[in-house]
Amino acid sequence: MTDYFEVLDRDGPARLGELRLSAPVTTPACLDDVLEDAGSLWAADREVPAGSDEKLTILPHRSFPPGTREEVREAFAVEHPSVSFPSAAVVTADTAAAVGADAYVLADVRGFDGHAAKLRETIVTLKSKLPADTALIASGIATPGNVAMLAYAGIDGFDTARAVAKGTQGKYLTSDGEVFLEDLRELPCSCPACQRPREAFTREDCVEHNKNALRAELRRVRERIRAGRLRDYIEAQTRHEQWLTAAFREFDQQYSYLEERTPVIRDTELTATTGDTIRRVEIQRFADRVTTRYKNRFQNPLVLVPCSATKPYSDSQSHKQFLREINFRGHVVSMTSPIGVVPTELELTYPAQHYDTAVTGRWSEDEKAFVSAVLQRYLERNEYPKIIAHVPDHGYRDICERVEDALGLSFEYTVADHPTTDESLSALSAALHGAEQFGKREREHNTVKAIADYQLGAGAGDELFGAIEIQTTGRYPKLQVRDSEGEQLATMVPQYGMLAFTLAGAERWVDSEAPLKRVSIDGFVPHGSVLAPGVTDADEEIRPGDEVVIEGPKAFGVGRATMSGPEMRSSTRGIATEVRHVESK
Amino acid sequence: MSKPSPEVYETGRGMDAHNQVMREIRAEKQRTYDPHEPTRVWIDEDNTPTGVYESLTIILNTGGCRWARAGGCTMCGYVAESVEGGTVAHEALMDQIDACLDHEAEQAESKCDLVKIYTSGSFLDEREVPAETRAAIAETFADRERIVVESLPDFVTAEKLADFTERGLETDVAIGLETATDRVRRDCVNKYFDFADFEAACAEAETADAGVKAYLLMKPPFLAEPEAAADMISSIERCAAVAGCHTVSMNPCNVQRYTMVDELFFEGGYRPPWLWSVAHVLESTADVDAIVVSDPVGHGSDRGAHNCGECDDLVQKAIKDFDLRQDPSVFSQVSCECETTWEHVMAAETSFNMPLVR
Repeated sequence: MTDYFEVLDRDGPARLGELRLSAPVTTPACLDDVLEDAGSLWAADREVPAGSDEKLTILPHRSFPPGTREEVREAFAVEHPSVSFPSAAVVTADTAAAVGADAYVLADVRGFDGHAAKLRETIVTLKSKLPADTALIASGIATPGNVAMLAYAGIDGFDTARAVAKGTQGKYLTSDGEVFLEDLRELPCSCPACQRPREAFTREDCVEHNKNALRAELRRVRERIRAGRLRDYIEAQTRHEQWLTAAFREFDQQYSYLEERTPVIRDTELTATTGDTIRRVEIQRFADRVTTRYKNRFQNPLVLVPCSATKPYSDSQSHKQFLREINFRGHVVSMTSPIGVVPTELELTYPAQHYDTAVTGRWSEDEKAFVSAVLQRYLERNEYPKIIAHVPDHGYRDICERVEDALGLSFEYTVADHPTTDESLSALSAALHGAEQFGKREREHNTVKAIADYQLGAGAGDELFGAIEIQTTGRYPKLQVRDSEGEQLATMVPQYGMLAFTLAGAERWVDSEAPLKRVSIDGFVPHGSVLAPGVTDADEEIRPGDEVVIEGPKAFGVGRATMSGPEMRSSTRGIATEVRHVESK
Repeated sequence: MSKPSPEVYETGRGMDAHNQVMREIRAEKQRTYDPHEPTRVWIDEDNTPTGVYESLTIILNTGGCRWARAGGCTMCGYVAESVEGGTVAHEALMDQIDACLDHEAEQAESKCDLVKIYTSGSFLDEREVPAETRAAIAETFADRERIVVESLPDFVTAEKLADFTERGLETDVAIGLETATDRVRRDCVNKYFDFADFEAACAEAETADAGVKAYLLMKPPFLAEPEAAADMISSIERCAAVAGCHTVSMNPCNVQRYTMVDELFFEGGYRPPWLWSVAHVLESTADVDAIVVSDPVGHGSDRGAHNCGECDDLVQKAIKDFDLRQDPSVFSQVSCECETTWEHVMAAETSFNMPLVR
C-alpha cells in the first residue's frame, strides 16, 4: 500500500509525482533534504527507525553492489518491517519485490552508470516487479546531463551527491555535458554561483553551480512532463553524451515497456526532427493502427498527396488547391515522414495533426524505407479502382515507385514539376475524370467509422455504427454521432481526432463485438474520477488517454483513462480514470 | 575458550553463500607452485615495541589456508598461491627457509633483527607447519631479536609459542582479526571467529610472554567509505584496549584476483579505500595505547588504496613516516584538492551509491 507517494501525471515512463511529506515534494526531484538513511545492516544491527512525516526514511538495508552473485544476494536478503511512516526500501533489480514501501532505492546505480543496455535492463526489470504507484530513487548518479534521460526512463528521485562530487573535482556540469574548469574561459551559466569573474570562480563555486544546474534541469524535466514533451527534449539533449543517446535507443527497442506507458492522445506538438523520431511509440503506433485497424470505405480512386507543414493538412494552401481539383472524387491519403500515410479521415487524429518536422525535401534512407513499408502495408489491406500519385520528385516519387514494384501496381503520376502548378493541378483533375463524387453524409459517416476503427480496433466502426442508421450532426470537425432516433452516441473531439462516447454510445460499445476497454470498479458511483483503490480490474490493453467503459455493481459510466490498465491494477493511489458520464444501476 | 574451527563454523546461510561463491571463484585459477620455494620474501623496516628494526619478511608456502579451501575470506586471493595437494613436507619447508636466508644474505646489510613469517594461513596450525618444522625454524632464527608468526586465534597456545620464547626471542603472533566488529568480520569478510576468540588468543600469548599484532582490514566489500573508516577507528580502539595486543596493523583492502572483491570491482561495485581515509583513521587513533601502522599495498593504483592520482605518493609517504614515528602531525603536512572530494565521499557515500567517486 502506497501512502506517501502519488503519480499526478505521466509522459511515457516519466512521471510527475508527489512525495506526500509534511512539506510535499514534486518529483522528479533531488531528495537530499528529505531522505533519512536508517543505515546499512552490513555495518551494524539496526533498530526499526522511528520515522517521521517530514522525511522519507530509508529502512535498514543491505545493498548489493553490482557484481554481487545471486547466492549472496539471496542469503543476505533483508526482511523489511511494515511501517506507518513514509518509507523507502533498498533493492536491486534481480531481488526486488514489493514490500509495502512508498519508494524503492536502487542499489545498482554503478552497474548502469554509463551502460545504456544495463540501464534499460535494470529499469524494465524493476518496473515489472514493483507497484506502479511507488517512487523509484537513484542516489549518486544524477547530473544536469543525464537526469532528463533517467527521468524519461522512469526514475523519480535523485540527489546531488554526484553533482557535488564532480564540483569538488573541478568538473563544471551543464545539460550538454561536463568540462574541466581549467578549460573554461567563460562560465556558460548565469546561476548565482556563476555571478563572478572566471578567475574568481573556485571549485567551491563549481559545487554550487553544479547543484543549481541539476536543480534547474529537474525543473525543466518537470515542465516537460507537464507539457507531454519530455521525449522531444531528450531526443535532442542526449546527443551530447553517447551513452545517453544509446540509452533512449535501448528503450525504443523495448517497445512494449514504452508503449504501455505512452498516451494515445496529447494536445501538444510532437517534434519530429531526428532520425530517432520514427521509432517513437506515437509514430509506430499510428502506422500500426493505420495498416492493421483502419479500413477505407470509399469506392473512389486513391489520391496520394504530399503532406503539408500546416496541420490539419486540409487547412494548408496546397491541400486546399488539391481538394478543389479533386472535388470529392478521390480518397485523399497524405504521405509524410515520419508518420507514414494519413487517410483524410484521420488527419486530426493524434499525432497526425500534432507533429512538426523540418522540411527540406531531403529524405533519409530510413525515412524512405519506413514510409514505403507503411504505404505498402496500407495498399495490401485497401483496394482502389485506381491510384493517382500527385507527388513531387525526390522522396515521394521514389517511395511510390518502390511500392509499385513491390506490389505490381501501377500508379498514375500527375505532377510535372511541382504539385501546385496549374499544369499539375489540371493533370490531377483530368486523372479523376469520370469518377463519381461522394457526398457529405458518406464523408462524415466514413470519418467517424474510420476513427472508431483506429481507436478501438479493426472492424469497430462497422460494429458500432454499421448495423444501425446513424446520423452525423454538427459541423466538421465537431461531429456528433446519433442513432436513428436522434440520441447522441459519441462526439468527435477535434483536438486529437478521437471519439468520446455518451452513456448510450458506451452501452452500444459494450453490446457490440468491438474490442472493449473496461475498468471494473467496486460498489460505488464515481463522480469526476475513479481512484486506483476503487478499481477491481482493468483490461490489459488500456493506455493513458484511452476511452474506457467504467462498470461496477452500482454504476455504469464512460470516461478517459489517465493510466494504463496494468498500472490501474497495481496502484493503490492516484486517479485511474476520469469519468465523463455515469449512471447508478 | 570456545574452540572455533573452519569445520564448525562453515554453517549459516550467509557463510554458505560466501563460501560457495568463493570456491567457484577460486576454482577459476589454475596455477600451482613449487613447494621448495617461498611464496615471497623481502627486506623491510618495521616499528616494534622495542624500536625500529630491519626485517626479513617471509611468506611461507605451506599449502595454504584451510578456511580458504572451504571458500574463505571475500578479499583474499593468497590461497591460490599455495601448492597443489595441500600439504608441504618438513624438508620442503626447510628448503624454503634456506632460500629466504640466501635472499637475506644477498639483499640485507646484515642479519635482520626482526623476522616475520606469514603463511597465508596459520603458522601455528600443525597441519600446516608440523611441530618438528616449527622447532627447526625457531632454532634457525634463535640468534635474532624478534620474531612474528602468523596464526588464526584458535591455534595460539603458550606451548607452541614456547618454542620461540624459550630461545630468547621476543615473540609476537600476527592475527588477521580484520575488524573488531563481529558482524562485519562474519558478513563482509566471511571470517569465522569472534572478537572474543581474539581476546582469548591475546591472553594465551601473554601467558607465554608473547605479544599479539592485530591485522585489520579497511573497507571490506559491502561497506561504504565512511562506514569502513568508522569501523577501523573503533576496531583500533578495541584492539589497543586488549592486554597483550601491543601493535595494530591497519591495512586498506586491495583488489586481488580470484576473489569476490575482484568480481565487485570488475562490475563497478567496489573501490579500495582512499588514502585520506587511512590517514584519517591513523590520525584519529594516534593516542591509543598501541603502535598503529599501515602498509597500503598497491597504493595509487585502481586496485589499491588511492586518492586522485596526484597526491597518492605523498600521502603514502606520510603514512610510512607515521608507521615509524607514530607522529600524527605528518598528516597536516600533506594536502591536495582531492581532500574536499574525499570529505564529500565521507559525507555522502552509502552502500547503495558506492563508489561515489572512482
